[in-house]
Amino acid sequence: MSNPSAGSERPGSSDDAVNAMPLTTKIANLVISVVLIAVAASAIATTSDFPKSMLAADVGAARFPIIHSGALILLCLILIANTLRAPTAPAADGQVRVGIAGYAGVALGMLATAACIAAMEHVGYGPATAVYMAVIMALMGQRSPVWNPVLAVGVTALVYGVFHYMLQVPLPVGSLFE
Amino acid sequence: MHELDLLMSGFATLASNPLALLLALVGVTLGIVIGALPGLTATMGVAILLPFTFGMDPVSGLLMISGVFFGGVYGGSVTAILLRIPGTPAAAATALDGFELTRKGMAGVALGTATLSSFLGGTASIFVLIFMAPILAGFALEFSAPESFALAVFGLSIIASISGRSVIKGLIAGFLGLLIATVGMDPMDGFPRFTGGYTELFNVPFIPVMIGLFAAAEAFKTLEDPKVRLGMAAALGRILPDWPTYRRMLGTVARSSGLGIVIGIIPGAGADIAAYVAYNEAKRFSRTPENYGKGELAGVAACEAGANGCTGGALLTMLTLGIPGDAVTAVMLGALTLQGLQPGPLLLKDHADLVFTLFAGMLFCYVAMLVIGLASLRFMGRVLQMPKSVLTPVILVLCIVGTYAINNSLFDIGVMLAAGVAGYFMQKWDFPASPVVLALIMGPMAEANFRRALSLSSGSYDFLYTRPITVVLLSVAVLTLLLPLVKRWRAHRMESRRPGATSPLHQIK
Repeated sequence: MSNPSAGSERPGSSDDAVNAMPLTTKIANLVISVVLIAVAASAIATTSDFPKSMLAADVGAARFPIIHSGALILLCLILIANTLRAPTAPAADGQVRVGIAGYAGVALGMLATAACIAAMEHVGYGPATAVYMAVIMALMGQRSPVWNPVLAVGVTALVYGVFHYMLQVPLPVGSLFE
Repeated sequence: MHELDLLMSGFATLASNPLALLLALVGVTLGIVIGALPGLTATMGVAILLPFTFGMDPVSGLLMISGVFFGGVYGGSVTAILLRIPGTPAAAATALDGFELTRKGMAGVALGTATLSSFLGGTASIFVLIFMAPILAGFALEFSAPESFALAVFGLSIIASISGRSVIKGLIAGFLGLLIATVGMDPMDGFPRFTGGYTELFNVPFIPVMIGLFAAAEAFKTLEDPKVRLGMAAALGRILPDWPTYRRMLGTVARSSGLGIVIGIIPGAGADIAAYVAYNEAKRFSRTPENYGKGELAGVAACEAGANGCTGGALLTMLTLGIPGDAVTAVMLGALTLQGLQPGPLLLKDHADLVFTLFAGMLFCYVAMLVIGLASLRFMGRVLQMPKSVLTPVILVLCIVGTYAINNSLFDIGVMLAAGVAGYFMQKWDFPASPVVLALIMGPMAEANFRRALSLSSGSYDFLYTRPITVVLLSVAVLTLLLPLVKRWRAHRMESRRPGATSPLHQIK
């Protein structure tokens, strides 16, 4: 966790080579650290509204969140310092580079999941899940006009059968059908 | 050897009750299915089956429930290894190395090792339950709030060794998990913290976060690479590990089972904690700790032996003292009461025949679990033969339905999705997810017991250094936390003398 010695910061030294990180990693480290510091700081601010404990010997509801937030801020500051001190390296050769299309696929998958959750509240488990499955299969490159709907409906029905009938777990009916 | 005679008599009684044996088989099978499905835990399985046992004789009913319990703890490992979906919280630790083995095309051996280790850990715990019940039950009584707090701190100290390439990122993930763990009702005053007015957040949404971080994040990751979309997930390979390989792991299995049993008898500590502690100790004792997290078979064996070792331990305090070791045994306590049996010190004395028939049946359940588990692995492994374009949507649907099943709440699915998105970015930038899950398990336990201990000692912090078990556990925790750091520092010193080499200390990103 500790840092390399100050002397190792000379350009071109062997430590520079091993300490270097790609620009994208540096940006990600900095962004994530700043976001987490903001989250931790707002958590500390929120604890000021917590009431004192009714027990005289208790440390109260705020103590542990403050300790965790404080430690989180400290660790994020260390990560920021390490990231800023590290020289920038080119992206690793062996790493698979994800293109715009790849990230678009992930983003669409996340959006489809959010849409499925929202739709489930209104149309229930069956229609929302079947459509969602077909969409994710299409995103994954499976675009058969016959197999996509068949698989989507089949898997949806199987999961419904297992949870609803076998395990007695009720699945959402949907406000439109209640 | 009075216990041995009673056990033999129990086997004889059991043999004359084929219905009880059949129901035990049904229970084990259902338990494996329930454990494998995300969101459905052994606790839920036992609770679902409880009403069905009303009309049964005590042995049949309790054996079916025991079967669900044992099968449920083991079943979680199947999807954890094959799909990185931990079916149960305990299986989150199994996923660390299990899924890496699947990636290497060794899913079959990982599943076989998990099955064998679950069987050995569980069977050992039942033998301990049979022969050492009074001694260990006394030890369990020594555990009060300070010891439970120290155990939770010990559990948290494992974060350093499961942090992967960067300790600082692991610690950040751990403290983030601890902060998330404070969401919900304050354990002492019941004040709602960070809930934003949502009643759904009154309890830490632990399982949705776990499913999101592990399973949904992995599914989202497969969406990013067009080349893998139509490919098969992985090969199953051979099922059973070869004997020389497994023989080398027997020490790990024995140690992990022992840890599982001890953790199991401590009230409030369950299979999830046992699995993580066993994993950490296996890594600490290993000659190749650097392989852990990258597909180490012994890591899978440790987690499964530890988690299943917990079952006998948890049953021990429930049967001998009437104190349930975890949530499942709390439900089982209810089942015993419904059958007209009062768990406690008098149970063994007044109903020795019935209790030892039950013990014999529990051993039968573990043998059944081994046979059913091994026989079904080829079938369950078929999921790996599915194209990823079908498997990924199925995983996501299981994540959604499994999360909903916990509380019948769409809000929980939203939490799962948020955790999945966060988990995707964490994975992308080398922030490990396991410390978050570990912190969510241990955080509430640490805080509640610390504050309880402080109140019991009238605000004095003396309990931290005046109670032997607490001192030992806290000392081991400090060592566990510092040892990986010292090792990395020493490796750094050695590596820095070799120009051009990669230093472990510099892998702080």
